[in-house]
Amino acid sequence: MKREYISVAILCAILMLNIIFTQYMVHQYFYEHYANTIISGAMNILLFPAAIFVYKRDQKMQKGMKSHE
Amino acid sequence: MTENNNKIPFNEDNYTHNINRNNERKLDRRGFMKTLVGAAGVFAISSLPWGATAAKELMGLGDKEYPHKKITDLKSIGVGDAVDFAFPGEHDSAILIRLSDEKFVAYQNACTHLRCPVFWDKKEEEMICPCHHGKFDVQTGSPIAGPPRRPLPEIQVKVDKGAVYAVRVKRYET
Repeated sequence: MKREYISVAILCAILMLNIIFTQYMVHQYFYEHYANTIISGAMNILLFPAAIFVYKRDQKMQKGMKSHE
Repeated sequence: MTENNNKIPFNEDNYTHNINRNNERKLDRRGFMKTLVGAAGVFAISSLPWGATAAKELMGLGDKEYPHKKITDLKSIGVGDAVDFAFPGEHDSAILIRLSDEKFVAYQNACTHLRCPVFWDKKEEEMICPCHHGKFDVQTGSPIAGPPRRPLPEIQVKVDKGAVYAVRVKRYET
């Protein structure tokens, strides 16, 4: 895989995890396993800063590549 | 007219030659990544209310006893009849069914599939959701046919001085 697409792949994986956690959260809520609901909700929230971090890191890497050219 | 064919744009009889669609919906790599991050943000925010209500339930606020609410008089509900009411809130529709002289059952009657109102079929002696023909056992509220997979929330009732009262919503036994 080309190096510049690694960040895109990571972000896609994060989005997939978001979908999985959301599905799990809603189901566990209706099964009244509230601790599991909170855990998966917290994971969903933590994934957002992770996504921002990946985006920023990618921007930095792109700038670095351009200045080396 | 025939000599105009295959010459694009035609003079005067072409009304679209000046519309330039290049790059109209361009989505480059960075724009795509921004969309992904935004989607992650939407997921994060949308999971907040679920976490909040789950935390509320965990702290035991969901299991509180509501003020007793009179559903109906004993006289006005015969054996095998059903009465609709709302408990605990005015939008939480529920159904009371008298199975015998002594035995009453009550459930919140929003179908656990897609929340259609479940009604009592006296002839078949089962509770039926008309939307997708989900059926529930009247004794326990558990689903016996159709798409629903979770039981209806049961409401505990009390007979007191010739009237039926709703007391509390029973938790699922998991």
